[in-house]
Amino acid sequence: MKRNLVWKLLRQHISIPQLAGFFFANLIGMTIVLLGYQFYRDVVPLLTAEDGLLKTDFVVVSKKIGTFDGRSLVFTQAEQEELAEQGFVETIGAFTAAEFKVDASMRIGGRQAFNSELPIESVPDEFIDVPKADWTFDEGREVVPIILPRSYLAMYNFGFARSRSLPKVSEGLVSMIEFDLLLHGNGRQAHYKGRVIGFSNRLNAILVPESFMEMANRHFAPDAKPAPTRLIVQTGDLSEDNITQFLEERGYDAEDDKLNAEKTTFLLRLIISIVMVIGLIISLLSLYILMLSIYLLVQKNAEKLQNLRLIGYRSSQIARPYQLLTIALNAVVLVLSLVAVFVIRGYYMRIVDSLFPTVRNSTIWPAIVLGCLLFIVVTAVNLQVIRKKINFL
Amino acid sequence: MNTIKLKNIVPQVFAANPDLQSEVWRQDLTLEKGKNYLIEADSGMGKSTFCSYLIGYRNDFTGHLLFDGRNAAEFSQKDWTQLRQRQVSCLFQELRLFPELTAWENVQIKNRLTDFATDAQIDEWFNRLKISEKRHERVGVMSFGQQQRVALIRALAQPFDFLLADEPVSHLDDGNGELMGQLIAEEADRQGAAVIVTSIGKHIPLKYDKIIRL
Repeated sequence: MKRNLVWKLLRQHISIPQLAGFFFANLIGMTIVLLGYQFYRDVVPLLTAEDGLLKTDFVVVSKKIGTFDGRSLVFTQAEQEELAEQGFVETIGAFTAAEFKVDASMRIGGRQAFNSELPIESVPDEFIDVPKADWTFDEGREVVPIILPRSYLAMYNFGFARSRSLPKVSEGLVSMIEFDLLLHGNGRQAHYKGRVIGFSNRLNAILVPESFMEMANRHFAPDAKPAPTRLIVQTGDLSEDNITQFLEERGYDAEDDKLNAEKTTFLLRLIISIVMVIGLIISLLSLYILMLSIYLLVQKNAEKLQNLRLIGYRSSQIARPYQLLTIALNAVVLVLSLVAVFVIRGYYMRIVDSLFPTVRNSTIWPAIVLGCLLFIVVTAVNLQVIRKKINFL
Repeated sequence: MNTIKLKNIVPQVFAANPDLQSEVWRQDLTLEKGKNYLIEADSGMGKSTFCSYLIGYRNDFTGHLLFDGRNAAEFSQKDWTQLRQRQVSCLFQELRLFPELTAWENVQIKNRLTDFATDAQIDEWFNRLKISEKRHERVGVMSFGQQQRVALIRALAQPFDFLLADEPVSHLDDGNGELMGQLIAEEADRQGAAVIVTSIGKHIPLKYDKIIRL
């Protein structure tokens, strides 16, 4: 075979240690890069998961709970107005708590889970970002939409479902949860059905629509006066310093889950970037070894290559064996590093799954796509370099 | 390809020499397909340089080299490859064989590129040049005379309009030189090709149409 003869000639002086050095270095570098990217794609969405239920930029403000100062935790009208006048505030709304009792009994997939008193609250509808139709109380059908804190889900799944051998609930299966609500106060009582429409990461409150709360308070606690202890504030730029300063001076607390998540995400992003850069550097250095090795090979075989040209071989035909060698090496590195990522991901996803018991739809595709892209770019550059080197002879 | 024309060609090394006496350098010379040329020269007059210009290995000259009227200066790599595969075959003075391949493989590495001669044909050439028992020996361990014959067979394993033989018999006895001459004449005849032989004295016995003093 023609190629065999050419290959028989051109494989002279191939250095196995050099190629093995390239192979392992590139394998390590590539695995680090792909694993970093895959980890990033797997974990960051969990940290930055938006509620999808609430408008984005807001903070919940409450008063600091001191031990003995006996200060009222209620925001007065004047305090609310003062806060509303601040530059960073776009809109402000108060949490309205139920002034009556709510007994809830929860069923999961038709099975009784628990009965409990439920502290429901409402915020102005403008802060809730779900279609109007989902977030209205339909008096005729007596169905109340409810948003639960996500921590409830974890509490139920870990602390409750297990010991009672009840089914675990994932976020995608909220419809499995049914609530019967019994409202009583002012000498009256009424039954309602609760329908969970989602879980919130960021509001630690069991929310119902404002219209329902107003109606229920009028009905079951007509004498109570609203005394908000928490305010929800939509802000412009969260990073503005004067928010923190203002809250500090007034002795207010801000629930800044989001800020924390952002910090964590930023750090994670930074660490993963550093790790990926290190991987890339290892890979680049290994490619440098490969190119040097092939340069050396071409140099040592220069006379043969020239003779092949002079008896009529095209330079592309002469370059091909070296190019195929490079493609094969790169392809094996790609496949092995993807296998490594797959195995390692199996380990860490078990941990991630137990920390974030939500429906997961992440796949290994990010690593595969990035790996293939890197393979194509790197191989294209390699082929070009080899071609140029051989043309240069 | 029917003609190779050299118009006023001077190798750069001779450029400074105004008294250059040559029938090739600084002359107009036309080589035609179908004729036999012997180019005689003392050593150092640029025989191998001449060959390397025709095969596109070197281009350190002034003047014009025309293949069928087309200026070689405009040739792309692809054009040269085409010329080396199909039009001008060269038996190099330094042979340019691959010592790690056998004699047979050295011929095949060319023949598989051109797909020109049958295995039987190549076998016959080996027989006629009396090196058939050396077919599967590595070229590196063969004598220079034997290697010259392998190089000739390789040069024949392609279609050509011009066969360029740079001192092809320098290490052969007269008997073997004659065998080689006969084979070259036959194959050139068959293809209607020209043979251009260079020599510093001893030369292959052929019917030369023109003897040129380099």
